Amino acid sequence: MEALRFTGTGSEYFKIWIVNVLLTIITLGIYYPWAKVRNRRYFYANTNLADRNFEYHATGKQLLLGFLIGLVLFVIYNIVTQVAPQFAVVFMALFMLILPWLIWRSVMFNMKVTSFSNVHFSFRGKLKTSYKIFLGYPLLVIIFIIILGIVASIAIPQLHIETMENPTILIIGSIILGFLSMLVYVFIIAIIQKKSKEYIIGNSFYGQGEFSIKLETKKFLTIYAKAIGLVLIPLVVMGLGTLGMGAGGVEILFVIGYLGFMVSFLLVGAYIVSRTRAYIYENTLLDNRVSFKSTLGARALAWVMFTNFLMIIVTIGFAMPWAKVRMARLMLENTLVDTSVGFDDYITQEQERGGAIGEQIGEVFDVDIDVGF
Amino acid sequence: MVEGYWHSKGSAERFYATFDINDLGRYTVVVEDKTAYRGDVASLKISERLGNVERKITLEDGSLFTTLDNDAIDTLFRHRQKSNAFVHYLETHMQWIAVAFVVAILTGISFFKWGIPWTSEKIAHALPYETNQLIAKGSMKFLDKAVFDESNLSKDKQEKIRNHFQTKIAPLSYEDDNKIDYKVYFRSWKMGDTEIPNALALPSGEIIVTDKFIQLATNQDEIDAVMLHEMGHVVHRHGLEMLIEGTFITVAVMMMTGDSSSIGDMGVGLGSALVSSSYSRGHESEADLYAFKKMLKGGIDPKSFSNIMNNMTEYMNEQNDDNETKKENKILDYFASHPSTKERVELANRYSECFKQGLMSCK
Repeated sequence: MEALRFTGTGSEYFKIWIVNVLLTIITLGIYYPWAKVRNRRYFYANTNLADRNFEYHATGKQLLLGFLIGLVLFVIYNIVTQVAPQFAVVFMALFMLILPWLIWRSVMFNMKVTSFSNVHFSFRGKLKTSYKIFLGYPLLVIIFIIILGIVASIAIPQLHIETMENPTILIIGSIILGFLSMLVYVFIIAIIQKKSKEYIIGNSFYGQGEFSIKLETKKFLTIYAKAIGLVLIPLVVMGLGTLGMGAGGVEILFVIGYLGFMVSFLLVGAYIVSRTRAYIYENTLLDNRVSFKSTLGARALAWVMFTNFLMIIVTIGFAMPWAKVRMARLMLENTLVDTSVGFDDYITQEQERGGAIGEQIGEVFDVDIDVGF
Repeated sequence: MVEGYWHSKGSAERFYATFDINDLGRYTVVVEDKTAYRGDVASLKISERLGNVERKITLEDGSLFTTLDNDAIDTLFRHRQKSNAFVHYLETHMQWIAVAFVVAILTGISFFKWGIPWTSEKIAHALPYETNQLIAKGSMKFLDKAVFDESNLSKDKQEKIRNHFQTKIAPLSYEDDNKIDYKVYFRSWKMGDTEIPNALALPSGEIIVTDKFIQLATNQDEIDAVMLHEMGHVVHRHGLEMLIEGTFITVAVMMMTGDSSSIGDMGVGLGSALVSSSYSRGHESEADLYAFKKMLKGGIDPKSFSNIMNNMTEYMNEQNDDNETKKENKILDYFASHPSTKERVELANRYSECFKQGLMSCK
């Protein structure tokens, strides 16, 4: 097994990044898609495996139209949600309806414009499956929340009457109920995560080579269950801290709350990312012979995330390039690929052309679908 | 001669190869098994230079020559083909990096400090008056449902305040905007057991005052002062401005974080909270100033504004921490939506001096 290497440096990327910023400012934002291409290409082309590298082939011109459409929609969305919140619901529903299509197009486009050693990737997932995963399951979550709301609105007034003399039962009851609903919610999220990984990786191709993935829902749920355990620790600490501070003032509570939120977000996020990543890589194969492995640890990831955050805050954003390079290096150096078979047999497959519109609209709305490691 | 690798079209397999251009503008690629590819330089497609990442030259037949020797390629093609060297030139010259850095900082600061508020103000005032009604629509209903209770003030008292306002105070703003139809509402606002003294204005000209505020006011002038402050928000269309500013901030944030992972997002969230609260403080100061100017015109001592401000702050402090000594918290000041009471009181006192000298305007 061989680890991926990142050959870029923070200072080199800083220069590219700052020139991107300059040109984006001068062109009042129009340069943004070209800047994005330069950014991405820098990271892809500096990703090295067995002395060969990746490449990002999209052009600024390809991305411009989608970017402009996305921007207009984004501005309309922002204004509508502030002026008429009741329409925001309609907007959200419409967005949910096109999201699966956006994801499908995004993945397809991004795969197509990515190559490794002159061979392009491709994605052949079905649109129908995308709807099942990215519309069907979220609808389930919504139905679940509605049912919960109905149950709560019926049960709580009754409980209230019965437990007037004994409020402890009410408190304990609602804690248990809250915990259970959080559990169900997190599990549905875990299942969506698992399904989407299977969908994206399992329908991807490297040249004629087919990726296959086999995941068990139980393993996935275990990771998320442990993450919930992990999130309870900082919550309890925060709760005790709050009690201890007593009337320590709103300011102190605010600071504790923010820090506590950040630390638990970091730890839980890092834990879930590193564990699911390891599990997914372990169970992914290319052509049933090339295997993958992730050695990324939760603590290392949390540490880099945290120090990156501090760096960015202290430098009001100007350390972003170094932060991104550090993160890329950490991710790549912890990605192992079995290179014993070699890649010489792989040949790019001709694919139908498809535009970048979906990809760019998705990007503006923060639909984060990235190819690669 | 440049050394590198050659791939046949779409193939991952690579062979050691060399690339060269002769004086007649013809290129030659020699692969390790001595096969040679020749053609006109103009038919080649060369990838843009980016740092030191692998350079890719696509031949006519779709096969590919790759090399890491970027400098050699740049030298070979210098006079032969229009290459996209401009951006790379900027990226590799320290003076341009410095320029970019300075421009980024200055634009960033001026954009957030002056650009957004200025543009938002212009847009807010360019929009038809009805926009204010549109954005305030439903707000009163929502506030009544979620925040307020009915007022406990007597109908007589309410009527008296209303009449005074409509005859003496509201006309003061006609010279600025005579379309605004001011209405005064009385409500009670409780948070826990604490009654909140406050006054707020909706963009449509609906001014809401809470019972506790009326109770804390020791005379009519103090009520008028606060009413004028709220009218300042309405006349300056602050509600609309906030909305436009919010949209600008979100779009700017989207552009800044667009291609980054979520690592910096939290820092950005903190930053945009800072920026929007600074805009909000700007609006408060503007409304204060508006109130003071109108008070000079209407013959009301601006001192009454600082009096009622002090009363309300004192009352809230009493409610918040009964025995606790309140520590100054400088950092949190940056997040405050209102300027510190001290600053506002100082300005009020300055205007009060002018008032006593009988001036109609104050420097």
